[in-house]
Amino acid sequence: ASATPAYLYDPFAAVPDLDFSGDSEEDDETPEPIDSQEIFDLVATMCDPEHPITLGELAVVNLDHIWITDDDNGLTKTVRLEFTPTITHCHLATVIGLGLVVRLQQSLPPKYRIDVRCREGTHTTDAQLNKQLADKERVLSALENETLMGLVGKMIETCK
Amino acid sequence: MKLTQLASIAAHPDRVWQVAPHPTLPFLATASADKSSKIISLLNFNTLTTLDGGHKRTVRSVAWKPNTEDEPVLATGSFDYNAGIWRQFEDEATEKKDWQFLVILEGHESEMKRVAWSAGGSFLATCSRDKSVWVWEEMDDDNFETVAVLQDHTQDVKCVAWHPEDVLLASGSYDNNIMLYKEGSDDWVCVKVLEGHESTVWSLEFEPLKSPKYSEERGSRLVSCSDDFTVKIWTRTEQTGLGSGGGQLPSILRGSQPKEEWECTATLPKAHSRSVYSVSWSKVTGRIVSCGGDGKIVVYEEAEDNEWKIVAEVGLAHGAYEINCVAWSTRYDKDKRGENDEIIISSCDDGKVNFWVLDEE
Repeated sequence: ASATPAYLYDPFAAVPDLDFSGDSEEDDETPEPIDSQEIFDLVATMCDPEHPITLGELAVVNLDHIWITDDDNGLTKTVRLEFTPTITHCHLATVIGLGLVVRLQQSLPPKYRIDVRCREGTHTTDAQLNKQLADKERVLSALENETLMGLVGKMIETCK
Repeated sequence: MKLTQLASIAAHPDRVWQVAPHPTLPFLATASADKSSKIISLLNFNTLTTLDGGHKRTVRSVAWKPNTEDEPVLATGSFDYNAGIWRQFEDEATEKKDWQFLVILEGHESEMKRVAWSAGGSFLATCSRDKSVWVWEEMDDDNFETVAVLQDHTQDVKCVAWHPEDVLLASGSYDNNIMLYKEGSDDWVCVKVLEGHESTVWSLEFEPLKSPKYSEERGSRLVSCSDDFTVKIWTRTEQTGLGSGGGQLPSILRGSQPKEEWECTATLPKAHSRSVYSVSWSKVTGRIVSCGGDGKIVVYEEAEDNEWKIVAEVGLAHGAYEINCVAWSTRYDKDKRGENDEIIISSCDDGKVNFWVLDEE
């Protein structure tokens, strides 16, 4: 899988079809809004950066910890995903957070604001970690880091 | 009042982090994640030149050197850790104007976040994720020396801005603080820490001297914006300085450090629901404009001393995209209404640059 979201390079690129299976018999013209189950399906098959186990199986991501809210402006939506590192001192928590951001940025249209956060109390440095993940400039400069993007690419490889 | 879009151009195929209108000439410069900068005309909004090949990663920041009308000079700061100096020159043979990548300023150990020239153009400040602020002095043409490495912040330094008159530098950081620096008797020193923001300080700008609300009696002011969703105004209450040089001071003061006292005098009415990334202070009207991750552009006016109100607001100013930068600029296009007419320029994540006019409703 390409590690670079198409939106970052070509704003005019068509929004990729989100392959949400399930509603095959219903062929509505207006697609159903994306729900938290679909967000979960996008990230649950991602792989842990160290083990060949998915984030869903490890319960790093949970359906109950995904929220989608409409912003006041009537167009944009905010996806909040709180993840739970397997251990409180997990040294790869930043990479997991970044991987989740990249996966959602690649998959969702630009009107989705993506807030990926480490669940409060589940990591020794969760406040620090969350400030980093909330910092657009740091996240985007990390996406230019090849080593980091190599790790993130491996996490996403297992999707589909 | 009402903000109306005057023009919108697809300037880059990738995010535009910053736009900087030239202080006296009719064009602006952009800083983009596509590793280039563009020079765009403010007469007709056409792209005049692309400055590329200078940086290996995102160009995060651009700044025009003041007082260089004949041969404009632009500084660029990049995630590749370096700053670049570009100059426009006229090819004597063809009489065509072109741009030259003159100098590369190396030294920072991580991504550069902002570049800013001092009012007279003799100093360039740069800041970086390496937690430091560097002051460079142009000793002679294109020869820069590092005169200070300031390491007072404990985190990523996001922005730097110079006072419009004094040799006073401000920086804002991921550590939530704003720091002020001056040249002391031996060295540059941090003379004041402004605490008050509850999260990252994204941008800073001093009140222009020409602003109709500027008052020497009240003291200089500084506007800052933050990831805590607020915009704050800070006012100078006291200063002692070494001024034009330590040698002229009475001996008793020699070796003492300059002093600055500032306090937060206003928090602008809350309008943003995500990070506020950029602020700009108009030298014509004294109004302030802000923008942010919520896609809004907001204009504030000072109704009474330190009492601010919102006079205009546009949501979804760049559609679904986040807005990274706003700047006031002199208006130059064919429909300008007098010498003092102004526009607002904004830039966003999908590579567009938009131009706005503020009108009475």
